[in-house]
Order: sequence, then structure tokens, then C-alpha cells
Amino acid sequence: MPAIVLEGVSRLYGSKVRAVDDLSLEIPDGSFTTLLGPSGCGKTTTLRMIAGLDSPTFGTIRIGDKVAFSLEEAKSLPPSKRGLGLVFQSYALWPHLTVAKNIAFGLEVQKVGKAEIAKRLEQVATALQINTLLDRYTSELSGGQQQRVAIARVLVMEPSVLLLDEPLSNLDATLRMDMRAELKRLHSETGATIIYVTHDQLEALTMSTHLALLQNGALQQFAPPLEVYAHPANEFAADFLGNPRINLIEGRIEGGHILCGGFNLTLPAGMDPGAPGAVKLGLRAEEMRLHRQAGPGMVRVRVTSVLPTGSDWYYQVRMNHQTLTIRQNATPHLSEGDEVFLEACLDSLKVFGASGKALAMSASVGDSA
Amino acid sequence: MLTAYNRFRLGLTPQRILSVVFIVVLGYLVIVPLFMMLRETFIVHPLERFQIPGSKVGDLTTAHWTRTLFSENAYAFFYRPLLNTLKIAFGMSFLALAIGALLAWLVVRTDMPMKNLIANSAIIPYIMPSWTLSLAWISIFKNQRIGGDKGIFSALTGIETADWFAYGMFPIIITLSLHYFPFGFMLIGGALRNIDAQLEESAELLGASRTTILRRIVMPLALPAIFSTFLLTFSRGLGTFGTPAFLGGPVREFVLSTSLYANLIGQRPGIGYIAAVAMILLGILVLYMDHKIIGTRRSFVTISGKGARAGLVGLGRWRWPVAIGVVAFILGCIAVPIFALAIDTVMLRPGVYSWDNFTWHYWVGDASLTVGLGTGEPGILMNSQLMAALGNTMKLAVVVAVITGILGVLVGYAIVRMRGSWISQALDQMSFLPYLMPSIALGAIFLAMFAVPRGPIPSLHGSFWLLVIVCTVSYLPYAVKAGVSAIRQIGPELEEAALMAGASWWTRMRRVLIPVQKSTYFSGMLLPFISVTRELSLVILLVTPATQLATTITLRYTDRGWYPYTNGMVLLLIIIVITSTVVSRRLMGTNIAKGLGG
Repeated sequence: MPAIVLEGVSRLYGSKVRAVDDLSLEIPDGSFTTLLGPSGCGKTTTLRMIAGLDSPTFGTIRIGDKVAFSLEEAKSLPPSKRGLGLVFQSYALWPHLTVAKNIAFGLEVQKVGKAEIAKRLEQVATALQINTLLDRYTSELSGGQQQRVAIARVLVMEPSVLLLDEPLSNLDATLRMDMRAELKRLHSETGATIIYVTHDQLEALTMSTHLALLQNGALQQFAPPLEVYAHPANEFAADFLGNPRINLIEGRIEGGHILCGGFNLTLPAGMDPGAPGAVKLGLRAEEMRLHRQAGPGMVRVRVTSVLPTGSDWYYQVRMNHQTLTIRQNATPHLSEGDEVFLEACLDSLKVFGASGKALAMSASVGDSA
Repeated sequence: MLTAYNRFRLGLTPQRILSVVFIVVLGYLVIVPLFMMLRETFIVHPLERFQIPGSKVGDLTTAHWTRTLFSENAYAFFYRPLLNTLKIAFGMSFLALAIGALLAWLVVRTDMPMKNLIANSAIIPYIMPSWTLSLAWISIFKNQRIGGDKGIFSALTGIETADWFAYGMFPIIITLSLHYFPFGFMLIGGALRNIDAQLEESAELLGASRTTILRRIVMPLALPAIFSTFLLTFSRGLGTFGTPAFLGGPVREFVLSTSLYANLIGQRPGIGYIAAVAMILLGILVLYMDHKIIGTRRSFVTISGKGARAGLVGLGRWRWPVAIGVVAFILGCIAVPIFALAIDTVMLRPGVYSWDNFTWHYWVGDASLTVGLGTGEPGILMNSQLMAALGNTMKLAVVVAVITGILGVLVGYAIVRMRGSWISQALDQMSFLPYLMPSIALGAIFLAMFAVPRGPIPSLHGSFWLLVIVCTVSYLPYAVKAGVSAIRQIGPELEEAALMAGASWWTRMRRVLIPVQKSTYFSGMLLPFISVTRELSLVILLVTPATQLATTITLRYTDRGWYPYTNGMVLLLIIIVITSTVVSRRLMGTNIAKGLGG
């Protein structure tokens, strides 16, 4: 049974603003599901509706076998009855309480016995390595420590689903890397379902088992992250995932061929060319190679900038009127102004029709191009 | 239909229920009085029917307005008090602003020594009742022509003070600005402190001189604070009552508030309330200007200063002289009036300043018709009436502080949590309205509203609770302001985290929202407490012999010229106010400046 089901959930502010628009989603039990999207896409609103801090204008939310929200049944389970734990973006630690009191608050409110509280506090503090901090006030903690306390405060309630709202956004880059690994470990150790909100595509790619990509309140794609990366459902999904951004080259489809920039690719059998008109070919930076010598299917381009990062070399080249970004970690090392030849070596073919949707193809030919 | 009903049921959150309750209650206590005031200006009252031929009591009439605005007496009745009010408000706002801004700049931006002492004591003139200075002025500068006795100044120098110097506009403006300069000091000081040092440093790197930086960078950035200080002081000047009553009364120089009082006392409410309406309109005008001029630019000063503290301006060899001058000025504002008042309480025969005239009679003496002024009243500390009044004041101050404190938190909570909805806006504006109403008029209307039983509310005439209600309504703007800023600082997640943990609304309030901002709430309570102890105009029409307060009884003694009693009572009030401010600062970390700001 899925852990959480959203059915046609919408959240309207006033009559015009649709923060979340007819969202239906089944979040699998035990998954690490990330709600990903640019700011204002409705991901935090969705999380808050699941948590019970906000109510949908339309739609139904089920958590496990319980109806958490239903307008028809006039039912809205209070947040604490939903069996969820929420870690806030700002951590929301109570500054007037010590770490121990912060963690124990929920248990005290639920009238759990003193001995039991002490036991569970000890357990969770050990698991998150914050035993030594228990008597401190939260203002005396570093960002990473606050983060752990915030997670401990939620875990001590033993929730079946853990909701995390951009928990890493307030940490510095190195700490963020460590916490990513730690959250992944937490997921595998507790086996709890995690719903994670972020606008950082790298976090989404590295941690989650499932990814729900949102834009303007509407679901764009729901799939495992690498699936979204390889086979984006539309231009937005292609553009949002991946760093550097995907290169979208304008062109057209003619007689079974995709003609974009100078490239001429064969349209795979079984792919529907869609309505006639302009198309865009999506090429990720690692799906292209630069050569000094010309070869079949290559296009002549000029290098406009060279950006070495140590492990990789990023090149920007000019093709027709477009600038493309290419990542390459092998020779030749080129210089600005070089005239070179560009080869497309696709992992997966990503072509988008005029509407922005990816051209449909049967799964069997998906990876062959 | 069903879904609409369901949506309504699901939407019954604590903040919504609270808001609706408050809207109803505030509507009754704030909006109704406002309309009653307006209505009174169009109605014939008992004594007025003789002046308006052929009218009966309760008739609708425009006679009050035509008389006030267009009759041959209009100038004396209305325009002169109006002009006086504006003169006082403008004069004292400019003066107070200049003093406050200069002090703020010296403390924040120069290397003047003794900054802590100065910053801490600069607030005291505002804590003392505003008319302390006016009573002290009278003690020092009164002349025999009008005051009856010689003041300290005349007694010492033999120079008879001129009337314009001893009474009227000049001393009113001076004493009020000495009372209100702490506003400018606090607000502008805060703004100066918040200006990002990098803004000045970058100007410096571009080659700007210190004065250029001050003129072209600091001043414009502090401008919103300067404007809002001016308007804040100005609006206080419009409604001030005690000072013009003490200093203007003897020379029959009226302002709107004193003419309102005179008309209400003289049974001419129709004309009186027109002055009240004029004051409200002026207040709205100030508010509108505030909105127009600084509404959008207010955010200037909230830039957080990440860079290092800007370099302080070196005063060079003027460091100590300036500091000593400033300390002398502030101590002068505090000590001189206190000293002047104190001296008058220990001089047996007023106006004779010599050692053989020294007495404790006015403090601890028995009632006597022959000694000193021959008042037949026992000394202040022996006087059961005065002590009872002081007791009433203390009781009222504590009760009102607690009630407004609680209301402030709850209304603030409703306003902040409902932000963006019309309910929040309505609550915000309704709770601010009493700020615009002249307190004498508010008192008068409450007298009319609660003198007779209305619905479930019994007649409150002459009761202690009537005073509680009127003070609560009057100080609500401050309390709500404190509550709003406290709750806004908390941020919704802190409460939501408790909600997720299963805490009920009451538990969230008790265990999270209130403890987190304890000192801010206490600061919010301190201001009403202090205000009640020195409140005069608001309660003057409402007190009865049983509910006399320290201030109102003081005014009665002033009317009879019994200044030793008046001054002694004021001294006691000052001691109480300063002690409670200091104690609460020590115990609760309260900060009076936090409760101010508006």
C-alpha cells in the first residue's frame, strides 16, 4: 500500500492563484520521494497540506489507510494524528528550551511517562550523536547541530513518514555533502518513508528513490531521478535537471531525420514525429565531444570560452546562433578561438515538440539512439 | 452548498475564532464611541436648547457646527485653540526632534564619553509624567501677577518673570519638547545603528568627506526615522492635555484638548465634541502623511549591518565638554524639575525660600487651618484621601497592564496569523483607532455609553471597572503593537512545530509563544502601567470620590492653588514610575523602547 496518496489536490489562494493545481500522486511506502521544483512551484504547500498545516481547497489526502483530508467527509485529521514528522527549513527549534527539552516536548505533550521519555531521548540522541549537546540552548549550536536536533525532535516521536522541508538550505557546502549521506543512511536504517522538498536538483538526484517534479503547482513528471534525467517528460524537466543546463538546439523533423543545428540524426523507428513544426533536440553537456579532426556527422564549431574545473573541462562553443556547453574530461585540450568539430554521442534521445512535450517512443528503442 | 459548509467547519481555527470575537468586542468599544462622538455634534443637549431657539433636547441640529465654524465667536471658540494646538505641535516636534537627533548622533556616531550613562538616562524624561515639567516650570518661574506667589527664580534673583515666559505657549512648547525628545533619541538612534557600515565605507572609498557622508548618505537613510519621529511627536502634541491645562489655564490660553474639556465641563458637549472631531481629523491627516511620505521608504533602516561598525567621528578636544554638556542637559531635565517640586513641598509659606521656612508639614503634618496655607488637610502621607487615590492608581495600573498585556498578545496573534485577510486588516486598524481619539473625548463617550445599563452590561457609572475599560481601550494600540511585533518575530514554524507534536492551542500559547518572547510582552505591559500612573485627561471625567486617582485628585489641589500637595503627589508618582521601570528592567529584561515605536 502506498504511504501517501494525493487525489486531485488543489490549493487556491483567493480565486486566482493556484499554488497547487490538481495534483495526484502516490508516494510508495518506504520510498525517499523528493518534491522538486523552482521556488513558488507549490512543493512546500504540498508538503504542508500533507502535514496538515494547510488544507487543500479541493481533493483528498490519504495517509496509510486513513483519510487525512477530505472535503466531502468534512474531515481533516489534526497534524499530530497523522503519524508524520516534519523538519522545518528553519529547524524551528524553540530558543527558550534546551536541546533535551526541545526533543522531549512532543512526548511530554502526549503525556508519555518520565522514564520512557528519558529512554527514548537517550536512544535518539545516541543515534544522531548529540548526547553531549542535550543541556545546551539551541542558540549555542552550529547549523549542523541544530539540524540534527531538529531531526531528533521528529524521530523521537517515531513517525511512519518523515517530511523534510529544504533541510539543507541553511548549511554550508561541505556540511551539506555530509548531511546528504547521513540522510540517506537515516532512510535505509529507519526504513521510514521520507518526503523531501528541495529546489536543488543535485540533492534530488543524489538522495531520492522517487522524484516528483513540479512547476506552477502542476506535476511535470514522477519517476526515479535517473529516469527523469535520461528521459525527461518535457522541456522543463530536461532543463531543470542537470548541471550545466541541457543544450536545447532548435530544428525540425524532415523525412525521418532530425535536423537540428548542423546535426542530422535518424528518427528512431517507433517514434512519433508529432505535429509538423519546430522541434528542439536536447543534448546534455556530456553527450557531446569535440574533435580537432572532422568526422562523419560532425559539425564545425568555434570555441568561445574554456572553463577548466580540475577534473573536467567545460567548453562553450558557437554553433550557428546558439551557444552550447560541453563537458569533456579527455584530450584534446582546446583554446579559445579554435575551430573544432562537434560530435553528438547520445545516451538517450531527447526531442521536444512545439508544445514542449518529449516526442513519444516505445520503451524498447528508448536507449538505442 | 455542503462543501461550502464543510469548508467553513474545517476552517474554524483558533485564530479565526479569536479574530471574530475581537472584531465584535472592538467594534463595540472602538467604533461605536467614534460614531457617538460624531453624533453628539449634531444633537441638542439639555443646556444647549436655550441657545438654539425652538429646539428640544435630542433634536438633530447643525447649529453647533455653524456656531463653531462661522459665528463671530468662532475665532475664540475654535480657530484660536486650533491655531494654538498646531503651533504647539509644530514647535515642540521640531525642538524635540532637534534635541533627540543631536543626542542620537552624539551617542551612536561620535567618540563622546559616558555614552552608557547618557543612553540610559535620556529615556527618563519621557517616563516622568509630561506635566511634571510644567508644574516644575510654574514652581520656578511663576510670577506674583498671575501665580499669586513668587517662583524660585524670582525669589532668588528678584527679577519678576514676564507673563509670556511664565505661562502660555512658550513654556508649553519648551516643557513638552523636553518631555518628548527621548522619542527622537530612541528612534533615530536605532536607525543610525542599523545603517550598514559598508554603505558609508564605500562612500569613503570614493573620496567623500565625513560631512558629505553625513549629508548625502546617513541623513537620507535616517530620513524615514526622522519623519516618523516628527509625526509621532506631532500627533502627541495634538492631543496633549496636562501641560496646556497647567501652563495655559492661568492665562486663559486654550488648545483643542483644553477647550474640549472646558466645553464638556460647561455642559456644551455639542461644541466640545467638534473639537474632538477636529483632533481626530488632524490625527488622520498625520497618519495619511506618515503613509504617503514614509510608507514605502520605511524599509530603509532595516538593512542589516553585516560590515564592521562604521568609524566614529572624533570630537577631539571637545569630547569631554560635549559629554558634560549633554549629561548636564539630561540631568537638568530630570533633576531640576524634581528638585523644584521637592522644594515647594517643604516650604511652609509658598514663595519664601529660606531655612526658617522649612517644614515637613505638607508631608506629615496634621490638618490645620492656621499653619502654612491653612488648607485644613493633613500632610500627604497622613492624608487618607490622597493615599486612597494613590492606592487606586496602583491597582488600576496593575490591572490595566495585565489586561492590555494579555489582549495585546491575543490580538497581535490574531493579526499576524491571519495576515493577508480582511479580518487581520480590520483588527489592525480597529485596535489602532483609539490612538487617534482625544482621550478626554474618549472618556466622555465612555461615560455616556456605560452610565446606564445596556443589554447584559450593568451601569458602570462611578465604578472601578469603567476606568479599567477606558484605560484598556486607550492603551490598546501600544499593547497590540507590542504583541504584533513579538508574535511576528516568533515566526509560524515555532508554533507549527508544537502543533505537529500534538500541542493544543492553549499549550502552544503557554509553552511556546509566551515564554519565547517574555521580555517583549512585559515591555508591552510596562508602558500601559506607566501611562496609567500618570493618566489625567482620559479619566478626569470618569472618576468619582470613591475612585479618585492620584492624578485627578492632584488636579483638584492645583485648582485651589495648593501646590505643595500637588507637587508632593507628583513626586511620589515619579518615584513609583522610575522604580518600577528600573525593577522590571532588572527582573524581566524589559525595555521601554520596545513598547514605544508608534
